[in-house]
Amino acid sequence: MDTQATPLHASRTNALGAPSSLNAALPFLALLVVGIAFPLFGGGYWGVIATRACIYWVLASGLNLVVGFGGQIAIGWVALLTLGAYTTSVLVAGNVGPPLPPYLALAIAAVVGAVFGLIVGLPALRLRTFYFAITTLGFATIVTQVALAWQSVTGGGVGVAGPVFPHPFASQWGFYYFCFGLAAICTWMTLNVAASRFGRALTAIRDAEVAAEASGISKPGLLATVFLFSGAVAAVAGGLFASLQSYITPDAFTLDLSILFFIAILIGGRGSILGPLLGTILLTVLPEFAAPLVAWSTFLYAVLLLVIVSRSPAELPRSSISRTAARSRATARSFRGPTCSSRCLARPPASAP
Amino acid sequence: MSLSFGGVQAIDRLDIEIRPGQVHGLIGPNGSGKTTTLNVISGYYAPKRGVIRLNGAAMSGQGLHRRAHMRIARTFQTPRIVGSASVLENVMIGGTIDGKGTFVESLLSLPRHRRDEAMLRDTAMLALAAVGLERLALVRADRLQHSELRFTEIARALMLRPAFLLLDEPAAGLSAEEIGRLGTLIQAIAQSGTGVLVVEHHPDLIFDICHHVTVLNLGKILAAGAPAEIRADREVVNAYLGA
Repeated sequence: MDTQATPLHASRTNALGAPSSLNAALPFLALLVVGIAFPLFGGGYWGVIATRACIYWVLASGLNLVVGFGGQIAIGWVALLTLGAYTTSVLVAGNVGPPLPPYLALAIAAVVGAVFGLIVGLPALRLRTFYFAITTLGFATIVTQVALAWQSVTGGGVGVAGPVFPHPFASQWGFYYFCFGLAAICTWMTLNVAASRFGRALTAIRDAEVAAEASGISKPGLLATVFLFSGAVAAVAGGLFASLQSYITPDAFTLDLSILFFIAILIGGRGSILGPLLGTILLTVLPEFAAPLVAWSTFLYAVLLLVIVSRSPAELPRSSISRTAARSRATARSFRGPTCSSRCLARPPASAP
Repeated sequence: MSLSFGGVQAIDRLDIEIRPGQVHGLIGPNGSGKTTTLNVISGYYAPKRGVIRLNGAAMSGQGLHRRAHMRIARTFQTPRIVGSASVLENVMIGGTIDGKGTFVESLLSLPRHRRDEAMLRDTAMLALAAVGLERLALVRADRLQHSELRFTEIARALMLRPAFLLLDEPAAGLSAEEIGRLGTLIQAIAQSGTGVLVVEHHPDLIFDICHHVTVLNLGKILAAGAPAEIRADREVVNAYLGA
């Protein structure tokens, strides 16, 4: 490296630094502690909300790999929540075959969810961006309609009772810890994937598809794997959701819910695990603080979406970093001598802070 | 060992052969089919007529991502980089196919996943050292200068331990001093046994480092031979070098 550029490189490395693994793990450990200690300060209704946040995150963590890492706009993911909720409830209730134990039913729901996750995801290999988004929405509509029409199994509009997980997870806090444990496992698993060659390959497909292909990454294979995983955890979330609701009808699975998951990931920022996790908690809790605003929730989502889209999801969490970058670029200009002529000016414009 | 093909619409009855350990230059004016040639070799377009052979076996009709498995790597005219990832992570993307662990092993962080990651990290640091960017390994890629992005792409391509490396205008946008460094790097890569194809506008770089030069004009070969012969060729001088 030329001597001229040395001070610049040094300063840039220092400015950004290598986030030590401890620093990166700290927010997750804090959340873990708060989650475990939660029953100490929250009572009754807050317990339900905390359980709901855990369940939503089980789904959102898998969806995050599809949306946040893979860049695929999967909006209708509530369909897999519905599917998982009904599969678990129906198998436990014994509407088809003998009644199954809840854990077995949940495991079967995960397999069914994986298969349907793949089916919903397959169009992503041919359709891009919003065209794919519409097919996922279409699938969500189909699932709700089937749940309504298939009365002998799903109970139609009357609905079906959700499963009850046996002791020690039957009590409110017992069930909370069950959901919290699964949410923690999902966080850990997606963190592992994010730091693996699969996570990097997903971001490569999102941001530099031709380079990904030239590096030998098979887009169909990788996306299929991620859709399987995402479908499985979404269906597990569905089973838990049915248990939390204790009784499910098709209108419990609204499009609002689907948009909640999607926006939680977008607010959190692409290619992050912590961001979408906080986004999910925020969007689960927010309506409780703003109960009078519930009627406005659709409006608020729309505003949130507009803000996010107009600022571009990737830009949101790093505005401060871009500012530093701009500063170091200014420094760079003063360092570069006469060798930088018109060519440097021809460089593509840096993303504005 | 040969890599040859002939006859595409934008490029007509073109026949080139890239040998291991040699640098092959492909020059010509705008629109002469240089990048098209590179895209055909790297599998973006299938040739209408003719074949591309690797070690004598035809490889047309095989998908784009199969090229990496044949150890054919390439870079792009405009660097294609994941801006939000670090330089090191970008380079590690180049070695994706060399991981052994499955997705499930990564989910659960099993030993094979850990070994893959350690191996990719070490190899990527070596590749970065080879292009002289190891100091920037942990910097976000969207904070790099243009020339650094070009070298990052070469490092990513080197992760494949390529038998053949295709460089699409690697010197575009570089300063004279950086071009010198690029030339040294390309020669070093060739000395390690890799066959390099350089598509370039920059005649100086080509004549400095290439063992063999092919000049294209309007999709046809205008001249081919050693750099010294090409520089002396009147037709080439008239059509392209213009001096």
